[in-house]
Amino acid sequence: MKRLNLIILVFTLLIGSLQSCDSTLDINTDPLAASSADPNAVLPYIFVQHSARKVTELGTRICDVSQYISNTFNSPNRGSVSSFLTGNMWNSYYVDMLGNLSLVKADATAAGPTSNNVNAVATVLMGHMFYDLTSLWEDVPFSQALNGAEFPSPSFDSQVDVLNGVVAMYDEAIALIDALPAEGVFNIAATSDMFYGGDMASWRMLANSLKLRTLMMLKNGGANVDAKINEALGQPLMASNNQAAYLRYSGQPGAQNGMLTIITAFFGPDNESQDVFGPGDPIDALLNGSGDPRWDLWVARNGLPAPGNDLFPDPATSVLSNNIIRANLPDMLMMPAEIDLYKAQLALEGYAAAGDANTNYTNGITNAISWWGIDIPGAIATITSGDVSTYVNGLAAPTMNDVYNQQYLAAFLQPVLAWNIYRINKVPVLQAPPNSTIGTVLRRFVYPPDEIAANLNTPADKPTQTPMWFEN
Amino acid sequence: MKTKFSGMLTLLLALVVQLTFAQEKTISGTVIDDSGLPLPGATVLVKGTSSGTSSDFDGKYSIRADQGATLVFSFVGYTTVEAAVGASNTINVTLQEDAESLEEVVVTALGIRRQARSLGYGTDIVKGEELTQARESNIVNALQGKATGVQITNSSGNVGGSSKIIIRGVSSLSGRNQPIWVVDGIIINNSQTAGNSRISGNRDFANGAAVVNPDDVESLNVLKGAAATALYGSRAAGGAIIVTTKKGKSNADGNTSVTINSTFRFDDLFRVPDYQQEYAMGTNGVYNSGFNGTDWGPRIVGQTVPNAPVTNVPGVLRAVKDNGIRDFFDTGYTHINNFAISDADEKSDYRLSMTSLNQSGILPGSKLNRYTASLNAGFRHNDKLESRFGVQYIKSKTSGTGATGANDPNIIGLSFFSSTLDTNLFSPWIDASGNQINHIVDDAGNLSNNPLWLRHENANDRNDDRVIANASLTFKPFEGFALTARMGIDMDDDKRLLENSKGTIQRLTGDFDSDNLRRQEITADIMASYARDLNEDISLNVLGGFQYNARLVERQRIRGVGLLIPELFSPANAAQTIATRDFSESRLVGLYGSAEIGYKNWATLTLTARNDWSSTLPTDSNSYFYPSASLAFVFTDAFAIESNWLTYGKLRASWAQVGNDADPYQLKFNFLPITTATGQYGLDLNFPFNGALAYSANPTIPAAALLPEEQTSYEFGLDMKMFNGRIGLDFSYFKNQNDNQILPVAIPESTGFANKVLNVGRVDQEGFEIAIDATPVKIGDFSWNTAINFSKVESKVVSLTEGLGRFQIASAFNSVQVVAVPGKEFQLFGFDFLRDEASGRPIIDPTTGRRQQAGQATELGSVMPDWTGGFVNSFTYKGFRLSATIDARWGGVMKSSTVESLQQGGLTKETLFGREGTFIDTEGVLVDGGGVVTDNNVPLLNAEDYWTASLGVGSVATPWVYDATYVKLRELGLSYSFPAKILDKTFLQGLTIGVEGRNLALLYSKVPHIDPESSLLGSGADGFGIERANVPTTRSIGFNVRLSF
Repeated sequence: MKRLNLIILVFTLLIGSLQSCDSTLDINTDPLAASSADPNAVLPYIFVQHSARKVTELGTRICDVSQYISNTFNSPNRGSVSSFLTGNMWNSYYVDMLGNLSLVKADATAAGPTSNNVNAVATVLMGHMFYDLTSLWEDVPFSQALNGAEFPSPSFDSQVDVLNGVVAMYDEAIALIDALPAEGVFNIAATSDMFYGGDMASWRMLANSLKLRTLMMLKNGGANVDAKINEALGQPLMASNNQAAYLRYSGQPGAQNGMLTIITAFFGPDNESQDVFGPGDPIDALLNGSGDPRWDLWVARNGLPAPGNDLFPDPATSVLSNNIIRANLPDMLMMPAEIDLYKAQLALEGYAAAGDANTNYTNGITNAISWWGIDIPGAIATITSGDVSTYVNGLAAPTMNDVYNQQYLAAFLQPVLAWNIYRINKVPVLQAPPNSTIGTVLRRFVYPPDEIAANLNTPADKPTQTPMWFEN
Repeated sequence: MKTKFSGMLTLLLALVVQLTFAQEKTISGTVIDDSGLPLPGATVLVKGTSSGTSSDFDGKYSIRADQGATLVFSFVGYTTVEAAVGASNTINVTLQEDAESLEEVVVTALGIRRQARSLGYGTDIVKGEELTQARESNIVNALQGKATGVQITNSSGNVGGSSKIIIRGVSSLSGRNQPIWVVDGIIINNSQTAGNSRISGNRDFANGAAVVNPDDVESLNVLKGAAATALYGSRAAGGAIIVTTKKGKSNADGNTSVTINSTFRFDDLFRVPDYQQEYAMGTNGVYNSGFNGTDWGPRIVGQTVPNAPVTNVPGVLRAVKDNGIRDFFDTGYTHINNFAISDADEKSDYRLSMTSLNQSGILPGSKLNRYTASLNAGFRHNDKLESRFGVQYIKSKTSGTGATGANDPNIIGLSFFSSTLDTNLFSPWIDASGNQINHIVDDAGNLSNNPLWLRHENANDRNDDRVIANASLTFKPFEGFALTARMGIDMDDDKRLLENSKGTIQRLTGDFDSDNLRRQEITADIMASYARDLNEDISLNVLGGFQYNARLVERQRIRGVGLLIPELFSPANAAQTIATRDFSESRLVGLYGSAEIGYKNWATLTLTARNDWSSTLPTDSNSYFYPSASLAFVFTDAFAIESNWLTYGKLRASWAQVGNDADPYQLKFNFLPITTATGQYGLDLNFPFNGALAYSANPTIPAAALLPEEQTSYEFGLDMKMFNGRIGLDFSYFKNQNDNQILPVAIPESTGFANKVLNVGRVDQEGFEIAIDATPVKIGDFSWNTAINFSKVESKVVSLTEGLGRFQIASAFNSVQVVAVPGKEFQLFGFDFLRDEASGRPIIDPTTGRRQQAGQATELGSVMPDWTGGFVNSFTYKGFRLSATIDARWGGVMKSSTVESLQQGGLTKETLFGREGTFIDTEGVLVDGGGVVTDNNVPLLNAEDYWTASLGVGSVATPWVYDATYVKLRELGLSYSFPAKILDKTFLQGLTIGVEGRNLALLYSKVPHIDPESSLLGSGADGFGIERANVPTTRSIGFNVRLSF
């Protein structure tokens, strides 16, 4: 009996030791992760991650496609788009950007009108991401995107549908801002909104300006968007550089523009000594000897010839100046010069609401030059407003070609926009790189292998020389 | 959950209670072995009768016998002892281990000792002395060729590097393929965290089990099948390595035993590439002093160049033997000293061991210093209570670990060395002001790093403190019953410092990465056992227990960039600091039981059951049951076969279900704090950015419900001893089915997420193993022992999930991946050339004469071997012993980026072909617009154009994909033990001296220039078959002295 008691005791102890089992095992929550996140914590990720990927990937790799830079490493300009370039960008737009933005938007929608400001910011940025996506790949998932529960394999929408959808998103954002209640509005922290510090009037202006950018693309594709263009022209648009949308880089370690850090990490201290980024032939052709102050602001050793199409600079050629390839170079999403020059184009095309073509044209050039020589944060070489007006006042009334050339120059260091401007206007005329396998300027990215493998709805790739719908 | 516990316990209780009555005895006692440990299962017979019994779990027995009778005590593997029954009712006996015995005792799961004859599954035992014959600094490597069904991958010649062990092929797509390591009943961590990224500047630091000190190992048992490991439940699918450490023993005189074992070993390069010595550095036939590693320059004719390599002053170009590689790499040395003192008496045993391992690698500046203190002690307080305590403290300091992979200035591979590069010129590498000097300078004056600067000024250090301790208490209140409580902890404090000194080209501003890892694993068991013979024929041994296991990993990392004072690696000295912290914890509670039913000592049925509750699974479905059954049938005894040639024969069969636990934190959606905004080329931004912190949604959709991976396995085996043990044969056939693979399955990124964790897919393993050991010759004092082991396993991916044709296991460079594809073994995956379908020959671009890349990447073959084998021979004559181990890996493919670099750099002899004159790729064909195929006649620019732009077009991998087969002379040892009569006059009891060698020769390989064993993916990564810029492996020759007194 004694033995039996002992055995019972032993096993009672054993069972007893298991009593706290449920709580012992309830530890499967990552203590270093959050179950939800405030938009003020997610928005900085969007702004900075977008720029980190865009500058180092598109900025350093596709700027020789539109040829504002002569040659870059691992460029797709000869016709072949690497799986890393297309895969990284696709992942960045859909997962890093849109994945997070759609969660922010969903939370803001659930919170109601007091979070309309957050909702509008997320909506504007989502619209911009889809604009970039369709600019790079043409047909992309839009109507079924970002809703894996309902659409595990999103279908791909045509470019015209995506662009119309983007315009609708900007309209939605404007409506959300207009419906902001007077009180109780969610406080977007000044540090979290890296464009405007939470100022919703600026966001409304940006939404309308981006809408005009999108409509210009739709118009070129042949869509009848005259009414929408007039609607946009009737609402506040970006007009001065202090309204520009750009991410500031402090230039401190960890906050240095990738156009410089690719040089400092792999070559040496700066671009002028290491000869990495040189001006493309069109930049040389448009600015060299023009009197445009941008020539001196952008190009060093600018008495020497440009490196040439698909070639790196060397000590015997001109090179992009340290004045722009620098640690605190901002990353621009939209500048007022672009709007001025759209208005100049529209005015020449007869859109009365666009105003006077010449005024818009000179405003655009003034804004563009002033940005690089006066308004840009951290400029090393500066000019005066007198320098700008002296040059601008000497310009003749513009032809459409002049406007197109200025649109191209105004898109400098904005890789997607510059490529779009070229594909819309075909001005300036670009030559295919000497070793191009497609005989023309690259027209599109191929779809990334990951999406092809996972999404059965991915269409077959078109050859990379095939123009997109918007080129019409 | 509680209901289930109670149910199982009631069952177990009922079983035990039923068996605890009606004991009576006349003679009783304890059977112990020569180390003082109880021997369970020893047979006690009254001589001349059929009356007998067996000792219980604690070595206790009782038997009825008349005074004057003789009791015969026997146990497999031990000498038989007879004792007369006198007046005393107690007879305690000690059985000595019998080296000549046919059978043995093995330590199985949970530290349970079993007779080999009762096991229904295959195990492989490696004795301690086999591990110390030619000692390795990583115990995993010492298993090479010595156990069947075990595949060892030693990453490189890096000192203090990792080695991977896979048992019976891969079972998991999720990386959980390695066995658990159990030291004296305590599960220890064998994980590996590479320094830096796995493929980018990888530092292959040691795997966790590398600290197990071979000098302290009594035996190492490889538990291969699921039935063997079933008592480990959800952690058992990869097998288990059960390490039993040495316990205290007295010497033959019954006095304190002291042993001193000392080894001194030299290491040099195992294989030197077949470098060409005819052409200098440069390109297109033109010399350039900055092009080391690119020998496409002019023919070396003793010409004077204005800027000689490194000196950058006018000099004569001369070829340097073996491209100066032997001057650059040092002779490594390893010095291993072990001192052990041990003692034992009836009441206690005690062993204290101190080991130092001081190794300096062939890579300049690389060192490993490891100090191990180990204590193992037991005390028998009375006949009911015993306690045991073991602790090992291991201090490992690794410095100068080589960087491998790509994208890191510190990588120095075999393709660094040029024909005209005198590596002696790199010394000195630093001036009085601390600046780098004697750089490589190109024609334009651009500088590249002096490799000795990289080796001596940039730290790649790991400082690791490890404590593995266990304590157990056994209470035996009455005959046959024992209750054991055991607790153990494995604590690892792993501190790494990687740094680039200011002035390192490509890292000019200087940076550091201070990376502290803390790992802790706690295992506690409470185990009750009861053994008795139900009648003369049937014996029963039941066991039930509870296990708690907790694993914790914490990592804190500070990276600093932009140093003010060059050699001060403090966050405050860095312009930018990035701090990150990781934490994960998982717990497992298990309840287990086993019943072993023996019949007449020739049939044993073992049933085991374990139920696990895991913290990493959903709380409402976190309970999983793992059963096993195995049967051992000694047919020679059952059928009373008395044959001259068949001494012993056993058939075994087993079936089991085990699991593979899930990782923590896979169930809940979360937002992660972000410190780094990732850019291309590592050009990252950091948060806080402009004063803002950042969070991002986790891109992986968690699993709503998650099951552990499940392995169902069966195994059949045959174990035979023939000709009185002169020949032994062990054969196993096994088949495992692994379901519910836990995979982060890629989903369309256009959903806003990248992956979704799912239980999908199945991997099957099927194979067989044969081990033969024999003593073909035994004449007088001479004997020759030989052992052959052979194992063939096919690990086939049966299915993934619908719509998923391929799953990436590991990714490397240039689109080369290791992938899982249904219907196949793990495949190397990469690009081939565009080929003519009919002839298979590459299609040449008619404008350039170059090959072209195929449109799609393809499968390039299995990365798993067809079979592996070992061949161990030993010859003894009097005190002399000569032993040799040869091992082979046959089949499978690997991609070598080192060979790719050697050939693309024109560094090796095969690139001499066609250097002068026209070069036409005659293997290629031209295909015209009409599809007409003709032999290629379009010349390339030159040979350089062929190797770089044609073979190296795009991301083509195939020219450097090789059959990974190799046969190696792994170990060779010659020793002499002085005979006792010489030592009689000294204080010594034993003296053995010897020479030993490791990795002596590559007997067969199809991979040129490098050691085909090299692997980029260290033990912590789940991938095989990819090599890039690995630290060259070494050949070692050494001396050994072993003293005992």
